[in-house]
Amino acid sequence: MKSTRLAASLGAAFVLTASVSTAALAQAPVCSAPVKVLAQPRDGLTLLEDSKDEFKKLSGASFQIDYLNENDRRAKSRADASTVGNYNVYYVDEANVALFASSGWIAPLTDYYPAEYDFADFDPGRQKVATYDGKVWFAPLTGGGDLMVYRKDVLEAAGIQPPKTLDELIADVPKLTNADKGVYGIALRGARGSGANVWRWMPFFKAYGGKWFDGDKPAFNSDAAVKATETYLKLFKDSAPGTQTGSWDESTGAFLSGQVAILVESTPLSGMAVDPKTSQVVGKVGFLPPPSPLPGGGYGHGLAIGTKANADDAAKKCAGLFIAWATSKENEKRRLDAHQFGELNRTSVLSSKEFADIYGADLGKALADTGKVTAVNFWQDPRWPDLGDRWGIILEELVTGTRTDIKGGLNELEAYANELVKKK
Amino acid sequence: MRRRSSLPVTFLVPTLAILLVLSMVPTLYAIVIALQNRELSTTGYSWVWFSNFADLFLDRRFLNAVWVSVKWEIVTVVATMVVAIGLGVLMFEVAGPRLRNFYCLLFIIPVLLPRVSAAFVWKFAYHPLYGIATYPYRLITGGLIFDPLSKPGTALFAVASVDVWQWGLFFAVIVLKLLETLPPQPIEAARLDHARRWQIHAYVTLPMLKAPLISLMFVKMIESLRSFDLIYVMTRGGPGVATETLDMYAFSQGFIESGKVSYASAMAVLMMIATVITFTMLWKRVQA
Repeated sequence: MKSTRLAASLGAAFVLTASVSTAALAQAPVCSAPVKVLAQPRDGLTLLEDSKDEFKKLSGASFQIDYLNENDRRAKSRADASTVGNYNVYYVDEANVALFASSGWIAPLTDYYPAEYDFADFDPGRQKVATYDGKVWFAPLTGGGDLMVYRKDVLEAAGIQPPKTLDELIADVPKLTNADKGVYGIALRGARGSGANVWRWMPFFKAYGGKWFDGDKPAFNSDAAVKATETYLKLFKDSAPGTQTGSWDESTGAFLSGQVAILVESTPLSGMAVDPKTSQVVGKVGFLPPPSPLPGGGYGHGLAIGTKANADDAAKKCAGLFIAWATSKENEKRRLDAHQFGELNRTSVLSSKEFADIYGADLGKALADTGKVTAVNFWQDPRWPDLGDRWGIILEELVTGTRTDIKGGLNELEAYANELVKKK
Repeated sequence: MRRRSSLPVTFLVPTLAILLVLSMVPTLYAIVIALQNRELSTTGYSWVWFSNFADLFLDRRFLNAVWVSVKWEIVTVVATMVVAIGLGVLMFEVAGPRLRNFYCLLFIIPVLLPRVSAAFVWKFAYHPLYGIATYPYRLITGGLIFDPLSKPGTALFAVASVDVWQWGLFFAVIVLKLLETLPPQPIEAARLDHARRWQIHAYVTLPMLKAPLISLMFVKMIESLRSFDLIYVMTRGGPGVATETLDMYAFSQGFIESGKVSYASAMAVLMMIATVITFTMLWKRVQA
């Protein structure tokens, strides 16, 4: 009897100890140090910082985000990831994900992305952009394609219908410019960069049938590139002041302050255009897909796990948990509640009733239509930023008039592309 | 016979050794990298010896950057010295002691601003539609647009004006203080000889200040070589390559565009050699 009682007591003690250990294990913090993130300014990330305590409770550590503007973020993250590796999480984008992945600077995300955060819920287009060499590398923070956003009042006053084709756009833009009243037909991007002026130029290049490479042979030095550049420079004559050396901020800023009649830009602009906090043209704006045959520029930005700062699996799991939490349905819902249109990426949110209630059916339809013409316009290769940035410099020279020979510029780019191919 | 003390050696050797390590290690490392073909995206490399240097002289952007750097150096140094001497003399002649102190305080403020902040402030001031610096042009021309930072002919001067705004005003304060330290007798003698004000400064005070003014010019020449932050924020070397100086192009090649750190190092080494030779020659010429 005594031995039975002893055995029962020991059994109970074992069960108790085991349960306590399991509980202790279950509550062991995933992160042992604050997660360091290098990013570019995004409203969604600023909002995320309000919930630092929530992440601390979840992981055991806080996080710190360092912000740099887009071009600086690209330069700094490249320098950091290839050398010291100070950051656990990098903000990457469609233009440099191939370089980061092939260089081993970031880890495959889904290996460390907890299943309960439902990666498959992200918009399929953005998942595609986040995928390189068959693996997913980042969780999207923003993404999409292009929309034509136009001022209904300005077009009506000029008796012009919203252009449906590229030829109509080219014809309409000069008619819409009225510099005396501070209104310009269009706003383009002049500032150098594969994600800046080249990004806006590429739809013209693709619309005229251009392609970057034929196997390993550069194929871009073509009539399509010349025609695309001529069209781009022609349209630039009616582009708002400040855009000749400006990028996204300058062109969208000009539109939102009422200086631009038509703007073909990345989809987050549409959310900004209907938000009274950011737009002076609320209620005067219409949305359509880009004039045919301009393809939309498919893009995606997101968070990826750095390999140098996360030397072991535990650190990678911590970074993965941060990314999963930052891009979770709950946080995306907070961004929707804060009317941060450009920060929404999950199909469950984009197709929700709340989304339709806030942004209306017109924008929803335009987004669905533009999805059909959204394409990947850039060369999907680790060497793309190198080639794209080189063309960005030449294009900026052409836009600002420091050089005038389009063909000469393309020849120079082709020689550079041949060097890149040789080095592979 | 006096015993030689080992005290100077004891104090000097560790300090000089630390200085030597701090200055020589990065320099030697830059030279070594310049002889290789290192890139950020790959860990492998090989020795290419002087190939990077040879490539530089065939690179149109490098040759353009050399020319832009020379222009930048001449424009900023000359304009800074002209502004400094002009304003310094003007304050000395026109302002009383209290007003001088007020101007000194006012003129020191720009140089206390971090370069990046100053660059952002002026970048907005030069905005073609909203900028305060372009407002007079819009007012006079009835609303015509002037965008100095996107015009190849004006961009360098627009950025240089910010450099001069910071350093020219600061140097004006130094020139004023130098003028105040001069003995009054030569100036009074010149006045008794009926010399005009400009003649007093042209033939008496400024020649007396030749040595400190040359020193100021050398300080500005060295400072002008380090204008990367100003140019990076205001134009990033644009429009096109109109304001792309050597340091801007080296950074661009090393970290923004290609990740060619060896190529960028070759530029840095050439810059270092050119700077050392130029400054040595100038220094010897001034001392002669």
